[in-house]
Amino acid sequence: MAFSGALTLTDLNDFITPAQACIKPVEQTNPVPHHASEGAASTEIRVDTTGSYYEVSSNDLKSGPNAQKKLQTAEISLNDCLACSGCITSAESVLISMQSHTEVLNFLANNPEDICVSHKVPVISIAPQTLASLAASISSSSKAQPVTLQQVYRRVEAFCKTVLGFEHVYDTTFARHLALLEHIREFQERKSGEGQLPMLASACPGWVCYAEKTHAEMLPFISRTKSPQQVMGSLMKEWLGLKWGKSPSQVYHVTVMPCYDKKLEASRQDFYNDVYSTRDVDCVITTGELELMMREKGWDLSKPVKGEDSDRDPAVDGTILPELLDHAGSSSGSYLHTLIATLSHTSPTPLELTVRTVRAPDYEEYILADKTSGVVVFRGAKCYGFRNLQNLVRKVGRDAGVQVGRGAAGRIGGVRGRGLRARKAGTDAVQDTKYDYVEVMACPGGCVNGGGQLRPPALSDGADAEGFKRDWEADGVKLDDDEFGRIQGQNAKWGDKEWTKKVEAVYWHGHGLPTPPPSPTLNGVPVGSRATNGHVDLKTERAERLAAQVLNEACKPKDTLVSSWTENMNDEAEALRRKYFRTQYRAVEGEVIGLAVQW
Amino acid sequence: MRFPGHDDRAWHVAWNPTRSILASCSADKTVRLYTYTSSASEPNTLKFNYNTTIPTGHTKTVRAIAWSPSGKTLATASFDANIGIWEQEDSGEDGEKGEWECMSLLEGHETECKSIAYSSTGTLLASCSRDKTVWIWEVHPDADFECMGVLMEHSQDVKCVAWHPKEEILASASYDDTIKLYLDDPSDDWFCAATLSGHGSTVWTLAWEPEQGQYLASGSDDHTIRIWRRLPGQGELKFQCIAVLEGHDRSVYSISWTKAPPYVSQQAAADGQRNLGWIASTGGDGTIFVWELTLGDNEDAPHIRHSIITRIDAAHGVHDLNSIVWCPRPGMEGTFATAGDDGHMKVWKVQRTEEVGK
Repeated sequence: MAFSGALTLTDLNDFITPAQACIKPVEQTNPVPHHASEGAASTEIRVDTTGSYYEVSSNDLKSGPNAQKKLQTAEISLNDCLACSGCITSAESVLISMQSHTEVLNFLANNPEDICVSHKVPVISIAPQTLASLAASISSSSKAQPVTLQQVYRRVEAFCKTVLGFEHVYDTTFARHLALLEHIREFQERKSGEGQLPMLASACPGWVCYAEKTHAEMLPFISRTKSPQQVMGSLMKEWLGLKWGKSPSQVYHVTVMPCYDKKLEASRQDFYNDVYSTRDVDCVITTGELELMMREKGWDLSKPVKGEDSDRDPAVDGTILPELLDHAGSSSGSYLHTLIATLSHTSPTPLELTVRTVRAPDYEEYILADKTSGVVVFRGAKCYGFRNLQNLVRKVGRDAGVQVGRGAAGRIGGVRGRGLRARKAGTDAVQDTKYDYVEVMACPGGCVNGGGQLRPPALSDGADAEGFKRDWEADGVKLDDDEFGRIQGQNAKWGDKEWTKKVEAVYWHGHGLPTPPPSPTLNGVPVGSRATNGHVDLKTERAERLAAQVLNEACKPKDTLVSSWTENMNDEAEALRRKYFRTQYRAVEGEVIGLAVQW
Repeated sequence: MRFPGHDDRAWHVAWNPTRSILASCSADKTVRLYTYTSSASEPNTLKFNYNTTIPTGHTKTVRAIAWSPSGKTLATASFDANIGIWEQEDSGEDGEKGEWECMSLLEGHETECKSIAYSSTGTLLASCSRDKTVWIWEVHPDADFECMGVLMEHSQDVKCVAWHPKEEILASASYDDTIKLYLDDPSDDWFCAATLSGHGSTVWTLAWEPEQGQYLASGSDDHTIRIWRRLPGQGELKFQCIAVLEGHDRSVYSISWTKAPPYVSQQAAADGQRNLGWIASTGGDGTIFVWELTLGDNEDAPHIRHSIITRIDAAHGVHDLNSIVWCPRPGMEGTFATAGDDGHMKVWKVQRTEEVGK
């Protein structure tokens, strides 16, 4: 096929390496060779047995190894990858070496004493889904009592402080609280005409990356509110750090996330502080990497630590963030559910919520309608997993009348007269099913099933679905690695779903909420609204107060201080609010043209 | 028979299952349609007429095409990573059929789309790509599609997808040398139910035995064609390789399986055997083989016999052949079309006597 007759270059190529689309050239720092004029092009490239490349001048072929010049290996940094349309997924292997637990350990080992000016305050923030994964793992690997998120959190905190030497340990739920508040604010802005609907959640970096890379037409719909991780980053570097008298670059901020793509998120240029040359989140590690660190350091997470069951008294230290705030709804951040709760609470007339499963629990529609008139006031959806995401993108594109895709659509679009006409006829029907908001997550099952989470423990020791270990070799079954992988893979398929359910259960149980997770009730306490039924617990109330305090201190509204997140501040302060709590997206440059790739 | 060709290599041909239309696609980004008629006086001759060219609008090679079982819709798979869905405009005042229009564009693949196939009922459409994925789409009214599954099972480029002739079983072939089979879990997603390993190199092409779908044939870069038999078993999918057809001395790029004309199966039955039809194969050696497959009457220990009934060397001169497809329409048994790097399409007929018609 490709090599028949004369070898011709067409748009076909069957070479598959991750670097196929990688177009970053090696930077040549070598000085211009002095004999460039004579037989300029007569060099060869040789590869030795170790895989190193040498440039050999063909004039010098006989003059021995000295005439060889070792060629530099191309090095690709995460930033090169982010700026490229190439291979985001294979870039994961690149970034693992740049943002890894060894990087964290290296930093901690080399961090000067705190009397030095160059000392950085090491801080670590842990996602609640990470705690759920760890808790589920402990509960299933030992006969011990099931542990709560708070217990695991205290144990991880103890590990990070006593063994690793972190000065502060937080969970990211207060940051999520702020993200949710800002999220609601943004939705209301869009609803009132500033920006487009549907608003699509932006907390999932996998989804954001995918949209930037292949669905630029979706970007206007994606919420500009920062994810909890990046809100945490802003809090740490722009607010808490200042309280400690530290500049942003004097704080080293690590987050622990259920997701590899959070590493990509933290590396975005938008979250880099040019003035202080520092990132809001310096390093992201996954749940798996945290667990690895604990194993390497011999820390037993199943052992209780002192005081793990008692609540901390927030009055003791003003800078302690509220811990493990619960946001009822989904284990992926409850974006949809908090919005629904807020809308129900602020509605002048009583609303009724109906939930419809479109396809499995990963794709559900939530419709809020006026109880008496039946008029739909809000149509939302939760949509998890790559497959559902495809259909969502098609639906949103269709409903909004935007071309879906990278541009080839535009070229074909000219001839699709009838298809469009046929659809126009049904526009009224389409109008009725348009979404106002969608909680989008790239992973099936959402964040509890994130790529960085712990694998089900049964898998690691080769036990089968019923918990029996089987020695394949002893049973006379010879397995090559491939086959073994396949058998394990089958288990993984079984295990993943069950395991995700378990992590999900722990996530809610750990919050002291009933399992399975409550469907959002209209009585739920919405984020950001003052208690109307005297039901708000102290923790939430304190979170509300602290949220206002953050605004007052970080955004510095001049005239009057705000008492809640929903209040407007003066323009200058609002600009700062946007800086700290919103971000932006941009389409990644178009596809790489095969012919332009230099081999 | 030979037609004015494409401006670049012709990749694939497809017979419309209900109408007398033959389509071909090419690196020149177009699809060409031909109509054909058979005359009563010369039953062995088909008369072909060039009908029209669809410019498609794809920005790169159109690699594969597939007709829906109804014959009304044509799907195009392109190296621009998109899939086009084409239908002919309703007849106008003059009763003439109108232009072919793009009704829908399916996007999702990241890189070159390599193959496309409609399920036997026409309710599902499958595609595969160099991005290593296989996608399954549900066909909705008004040229609307819903993505039912994105299967990331292969470790390399996926070359071909083929639906079972009766059931909703999908097979895919890959550069990773394996074949994978997929089933729908009604309560869940599509999943990979079996992996067939055996080929020593890229598996380029797949063809199901068209009558019962008890057998699957695969053509590979290792120059062979393998025949896989589905083992009995409720609710599970297991296959065993029961024959290796050797004859090509280059890669096998395309195979097609048809039931044999009635006279052949009758003769086999008279000999106490079951005829399993004919497989036409071709590839990088420019040679066409037609294999006859028969099954001994012992169903418990099936032994498949194969013999070459036709061999055509240099079928498109010095050029490679990229596609070979039997005409599936009744009364057209023994007729197949080929497409080659020369940009041409040819139609062949296996005749009862030893001679082979062109």
